[in-house]
Amino acid sequence: MAYKPQYYPGNTSVAKNRRKHMADDLEKMRDISDEDLTALLGHRAPGSDYPSTHPPLAEMGEPDCPVREVVEPTPGAAAGDRIRYAQFSDSMYNAPSVPYWRSYHAALNFRGVDPGTLSGRAVNEMRERDLEEFTKRVCETEMTDWGLAGMRGCTVHGHSLRLQEDGVMFDMLDRRRLEGGVIVMDKDQVGVPIDRKVNLGKPMSESEAAKRTTFYRVDNVSFRSDKEVIEHVQKVWELRTKYGFVPKA
Amino acid sequence: MVRTATVTGKLKQIRIFPQRLLLPETAEKLLNEIDSVKGVIRMLISGKNLPRKVTCGPGTGMDVNHPDRIIIHVSGCAFELHVIVGEVLVEVDDESVVEELRKACERALPFSFELKRGYFIKTKPTLTDYGKYGFKSRYDETINLEDERMLGMVDPHAKLETNLCLIKAEELSLSRTAEEPIQ
Repeated sequence: MAYKPQYYPGNTSVAKNRRKHMADDLEKMRDISDEDLTALLGHRAPGSDYPSTHPPLAEMGEPDCPVREVVEPTPGAAAGDRIRYAQFSDSMYNAPSVPYWRSYHAALNFRGVDPGTLSGRAVNEMRERDLEEFTKRVCETEMTDWGLAGMRGCTVHGHSLRLQEDGVMFDMLDRRRLEGGVIVMDKDQVGVPIDRKVNLGKPMSESEAAKRTTFYRVDNVSFRSDKEVIEHVQKVWELRTKYGFVPKA
Repeated sequence: MVRTATVTGKLKQIRIFPQRLLLPETAEKLLNEIDSVKGVIRMLISGKNLPRKVTCGPGTGMDVNHPDRIIIHVSGCAFELHVIVGEVLVEVDDESVVEELRKACERALPFSFELKRGYFIKTKPTLTDYGKYGFKSRYDETINLEDERMLGMVDPHAKLETNLCLIKAEELSLSRTAEEPIQ
């Protein structure tokens, strides 16, 4: 039988969703074209070539190195792409993904990623074409509900705020908004207007968001209700505390 | 006329905290409903800033054009919303007004809200206020403000004119106030 890793303990819906995110076992919810995605990221003009920071590895004449022979470079690294980033903010009101799980998802399922995790947002840096592949995966699947999350390179404020009256997470720069029942975005992630209105689909209903979320909340699935998770977390904390004293025995 | 905020010991301040951040239309409706309640001395709205320009990142200096940053009308007085309204602090002159205030909120808000009593707006000048307004004179060390109800209505560094709205309310036959400021 093939080994199937179990990434996270627990039997609640939140624990199951966390496992799904980590295993990249995600349901596709919408289609976003490559050109639209490039426009939203705002790192290069849609349709233009990828700028590079060094020549393709094949032309560089790499030094003789066993590690380089074993590790196949990602397409972005092989082509010499620039390092670029995508940052997401998630509402604590049952957004599908917790920032930590965005980082876990990136680090476990993609190569050449530098995840940065904060309380309300997660930034991932990688080579430009790898980043586009990663972002497409994140944007099109159940990891992102565009009503409760947002791609925000700066001015990320919104994670811990109450939702707006229309059920959408507040966006100070008005990058994306609810229009005619769907979320549209007409600025890139740093608030620069783009030449198109990207349709990001219908936001999830409250009940669906509660079902798909990876946030533990007392008004949905509370953290304390999952004994297995509590045991696991306590064990991790105990071990890391003991390790802090570097026991020699 | 007495022109201090702490005119009686019975003074009450109420914090209205809606479950959601308000759209401008709902905020306008709520403020007008509160304004129609007799006994309201002053109200202060607060929430998250709606900037006019992008202030950081590669897009610095670009216009935001947030659709919620619009002009609303409260009691015939027009002013531009600089924030998405998250809470309203109201000062009333009597405990009996609180129930009326609750009914006004129920009429205006389509979702639940919290109503808390307490002191949320300052009623005495602080060092910052003395730094900003100064003393009345060399011999009178009270704060150099004609109307002390202005205290705590705006951030010490903000301009009073663009953040304070004075509503003439003589016709409302209020017992003790002629003006009603709103941020």
